[in-house]
Amino acid sequence: MLPERKASAYAVPRLPREAVIALVVLALLWEALSYFAPHLGIAPIAVPGFGKIAHSLASVTPVDVGVTLVRVLVSLVISFVCGLVLAIWFYRSESVERYVSPLVRLLMAVPVISWILFAVLWFKSTEFRICFVLVVTCGPIFMVDALDALRGVSRELRQMVRSFRPTPLQLFTKLLLPAITPALLTSWKINLSLAIRVVTIAELVGATTGIGHELAIAEELFSVADVFAWTLILVAALFVLEWVLTRIEARALRWRVS
Amino acid sequence: MSVAPPIEVSHLSKTFRTTSGHQVVAIADLDLRIDSREVVAIVGQTGCGKSTFFDLMIGLERPTTGKITIGGKTPYDDFEHFRGQIATVFQQDRLLPWRSAIDNVCLPLELLGLSEKERHDRALEWLVRFGLEAAAYRYPHELSGGMRQRVAIARSFVVQPSILLADEAFGHLDEVTATELRETFVALARELGSTAILITHQLEEAIAVGDRILVFGQSARLLHDVRAEHWPTADHALLREAIQVTLQTNVADARLARSA
Repeated sequence: MLPERKASAYAVPRLPREAVIALVVLALLWEALSYFAPHLGIAPIAVPGFGKIAHSLASVTPVDVGVTLVRVLVSLVISFVCGLVLAIWFYRSESVERYVSPLVRLLMAVPVISWILFAVLWFKSTEFRICFVLVVTCGPIFMVDALDALRGVSRELRQMVRSFRPTPLQLFTKLLLPAITPALLTSWKINLSLAIRVVTIAELVGATTGIGHELAIAEELFSVADVFAWTLILVAALFVLEWVLTRIEARALRWRVS
Repeated sequence: MSVAPPIEVSHLSKTFRTTSGHQVVAIADLDLRIDSREVVAIVGQTGCGKSTFFDLMIGLERPTTGKITIGGKTPYDDFEHFRGQIATVFQQDRLLPWRSAIDNVCLPLELLGLSEKERHDRALEWLVRFGLEAAAYRYPHELSGGMRQRVAIARSFVVQPSILLADEAFGHLDEVTATELRETFVALARELGSTAILITHQLEEAIAVGDRILVFGQSARLLHDVRAEHWPTADHALLREAIQVTLQTNVADARLARSA
């Protein structure tokens, strides 16, 4: 008989009552501030009410949201593949790692804004610029996380699988990849939130589409309501993507002890 | 399953270098021969090189000098030749935690490239033989220690290997479970016609299962090579005592040599 289904450590978290109350209180305070702003000497434009924000939300262009999300996802996939390939290479060759690893650490120390400026100065294509910035920012994180996870694979399990004489590809697909999956999923979560923030800055500086570009227009128009609307969209998109990742994690790691 | 070829070990040595730069001789000039279908117990004290011999046998380590040949081929250099021919059971079950019991048993068959249906059928057949059909789709953490070790043994038998190696595979289980599993292991090995090598530090276990007992001293020196036909069947006390005295003398000699 199979054991009763237990609550998984990877179950999708529900919004707790306290969080809902805190959000509602914050919204009410904001609405009150917006109402009393003129009496407090604050420009009404600086604290738009929910009516204005809702109006801005209604004018949000889905194409820009889609463009930003596609940029994030495509760049993350490229970063992931590059990071994983480098991690496997370093795992197999310590001498290569000794030469290349310091360079990767150097890349990780460069501020994002410097990468954006380099991208603007070096490349003509907007899409390539944005992709480049995201890959150099997220790729090293994927690489470091994957390499640490590969090194953490139990020696006993490696010995067991090797005793059955797998090919290098079989060793990777049957042991290493499943063993590092939890670390890779955690890395995806970290990089997703980082990529959403970085892509916005990159679009703000050098793009003619996307949420970052729309934020730049809102700033030029002094429209705090528009900034709010786009920011809400960005946060909502991040939450949705994180939820999707959590669902994937719950499925992929259902074997874990709760 | 092909007929198990004889195993020949000649002038086998294995030396390790520690992180502090010292050389440790795990095996020094070992010579022995294990015939086809023999069930051999290798007994010796902790640190005598039994596990190093195990690693060399399965081809995960290269001998420093000398060689092991199985039917004329060496497990290290002809690594792929022995795919599906050598199977191992370790001290811990070493089940992959993300695979159910049946998927763990399927692993060696996947590496051999069998079809999904054939893998499933054969894995289930072995799980049934070990009384684990009800637990086939449970994950390792949902199984008891004895059940996990049964799955590990089923995983080694599923490829019907010509050579079976068990490294202290029953030592961590309770006595009843260990005895039952040990007997099952040996009976199945005999049924398949495999050569079985059981490494243990328990004399009782060695006497209970082996056609032959190889007693290893320090650096895997072969102190005794006792065949079943040479020891009395009813009372093993004399044999046990003789081996114990030999092992104790060897340990004392090794200490003396070190202090000298």
